[in-house]
Amino acid sequence: MRTNYRVNSGVRFRMLSDDQLQELVDGVLHVLEYTGLDVYHEESRDILKKAGAWVDGIRVRIPSHLVRKSLDLAPRSFTVFSRDGNPKNNINIGPGRAHFGPGPTCPNFIDVESMERRPYVKSDVPLVAKVVDALPNIDFCESLGTVNDVHHELGATYEFAGMFPNTSKPIVAWSYDYDDSVDIHKIAVAEAGGQEAFERRPNYIHYCEPLSPLVSTEDALNKLVFAAKHRIPLIFTPCPIAGGTAPVTAAGIITQAAAESWMGLTIAQALQPGLPFIMGGVLSVMDMSSMILAYGAPELSLFMAGLTELAHYVGLPLWQTGGCTDSKTLDEQAAIEGSLSVYFSALSGGDLCHDVGYTESAMTGSVFQLAMMDESIGYARRITRGIEVNEETLAVEVIDNVGPNGHFLREQHTRDHYRTEFWYPNLCDRRNYEEWEMMGSTPMRDRVVARVHDILATHEPSPIKPETEKVIEEVLAAAEDRVREK
Amino acid sequence: MSTILEKISAAVFAGDSEKTESLVQKGLDENVSVKEILDNGLVLGMGEVGARFKRGEMFVPEVLMSAEAMHTGLELLRPLLAESNIDRSGKIMLATVKGDLHDIGKNLVGMMCEGEGFEVVDLGFNVGPDVIVEKIKEHQPDIVGLSAMLTTTMRAMGHTIKAIEEAGLRDKVKVIVGGAPVDKEFADRIGADGYGSNAVAGPELARQLLGK
Repeated sequence: MRTNYRVNSGVRFRMLSDDQLQELVDGVLHVLEYTGLDVYHEESRDILKKAGAWVDGIRVRIPSHLVRKSLDLAPRSFTVFSRDGNPKNNINIGPGRAHFGPGPTCPNFIDVESMERRPYVKSDVPLVAKVVDALPNIDFCESLGTVNDVHHELGATYEFAGMFPNTSKPIVAWSYDYDDSVDIHKIAVAEAGGQEAFERRPNYIHYCEPLSPLVSTEDALNKLVFAAKHRIPLIFTPCPIAGGTAPVTAAGIITQAAAESWMGLTIAQALQPGLPFIMGGVLSVMDMSSMILAYGAPELSLFMAGLTELAHYVGLPLWQTGGCTDSKTLDEQAAIEGSLSVYFSALSGGDLCHDVGYTESAMTGSVFQLAMMDESIGYARRITRGIEVNEETLAVEVIDNVGPNGHFLREQHTRDHYRTEFWYPNLCDRRNYEEWEMMGSTPMRDRVVARVHDILATHEPSPIKPETEKVIEEVLAAAEDRVREK
Repeated sequence: MSTILEKISAAVFAGDSEKTESLVQKGLDENVSVKEILDNGLVLGMGEVGARFKRGEMFVPEVLMSAEAMHTGLELLRPLLAESNIDRSGKIMLATVKGDLHDIGKNLVGMMCEGEGFEVVDLGFNVGPDVIVEKIKEHQPDIVGLSAMLTTTMRAMGHTIKAIEEAGLRDKVKVIVGGAPVDKEFADRIGADGYGSNAVAGPELARQLLGK
């Protein structure tokens, strides 16, 4: 019998010490208490004031005890459920679990047939959702684009309406403002079987984005208040740019981003104690020659790892970032930047890693990048799964059985474990030269394209309820009526 | 009648030696012909295994299990095959060439070939050209399979083929080569008759060369 035996079963890394993390927390609390944020939302200011914050015009400062209380109220572990009850597609958020998915709102899209970059349109939405549904290492869905060919206020409504029937993996729903958040919620609630059933088993996550530096905008808080009132798990994620809209230093941008996210946390927990809350955001550098927010920068992975450690230190899950690139096409740069950030994100154990499939610094969404990253995520997951050490895996008896110059291929031990001990690639080629030549001498890029086309031609997502289909039609019709005069 | 053959084929496919053995016996007891059991039972199951392996849907440990199951079934049929004048097998002689102690790859080729009904003579490892020539005279195989694991020892394959030529035996046997550093170009250069990139390719290559 083992006793007092310590197990480290996965590859993880930790960068910052407890002392450093506490210093970061103190920095965030200092910003919230002494500088405060501008809150462009009257209802939120009232909520904050009632909870004990100091309101001075639109500037709101939060005493540290109130922030600490809010941190305590938010759960570290919770589940977001698949819409069809398939437990394989549930997302169980908690320590030591990393999940991956695409990001929202790219203006452009790589056309799946022509491979050309063009504006993102309504008909792209179901394709992205289908690919997400089919890829084994993609856990949640976002649309990879902003729908350009509908009324400018209805993009998010059409987006959700197009994604929901085409994947049973939980959707992270982006929206413009209050009205389209309501549209989205109606669809999700119809499938869940009513508001109460939804609260017991939430089937999507709501996404809000405040402004950096230090502004909680009206639309972000309209959405936050709606989500909190309806107990929708919530992401509150700023997008500060080091050297532009945030300090140039890693510790500085992390501190500011946390302050921006925790303002949302405080409002949400005051409104709905215990609401599942996922801390954001996306932290990277401003490239000082092109002025872009660099999605392929090593600093992105580093900042995100620091932010992840801070979030976990205070007991919050984190909205991670990875699998993205500044490259304009499916090339070596895209593979390098995407794979390294995926691997780093998996190592840091960030809870929901988004923006998988972003190219051109988030200007263009690509299901090809997404499919290539699915392979990288599988690879990274095998490494982070780590090494199991016990009598069975030590295989001392098997080694003895086989002896010098024998082989292990016929051993029951091999047969029992080779499928789970090894990772099997879907896209990376390991054939010998002749076989590779016989199969068309394809480079990675061609195999990625073929996989996406195969998924689109063959994959059938599980259907939504007929009554939900009707609700989607009604929601879209009502939304069109709403904007007719605008 | 057809169900027993389907079951045999399925047992080979599943790599279940015990079940294959008992089903083949049952087939014989029920007077199913040897040829039927072989062609529409054992070979059919193994054929499916080979096809799936090629498509990357089955892996080496499973293929070996199926080869073992087939071998078990074949052992029961072997005396009857001789009686019925059904000659499917050929004789394959295997060796890891001089200077090379790597045994495993060659052993796997042997197992796969036995599984598919070939008679296998294994000379072991570090076998010099002169010994191989002597053993060809002694065993008179249809095929000689040479294995090398190292770039330093693969040259000995060429030396061996030369020795077989010099002994005047080159037109009596087909020579096939394999092993980690070997590729088709090298096989052609040293005048081998065939090259297999992995153990599972061994029996298929042998059948092609013997026209079976």
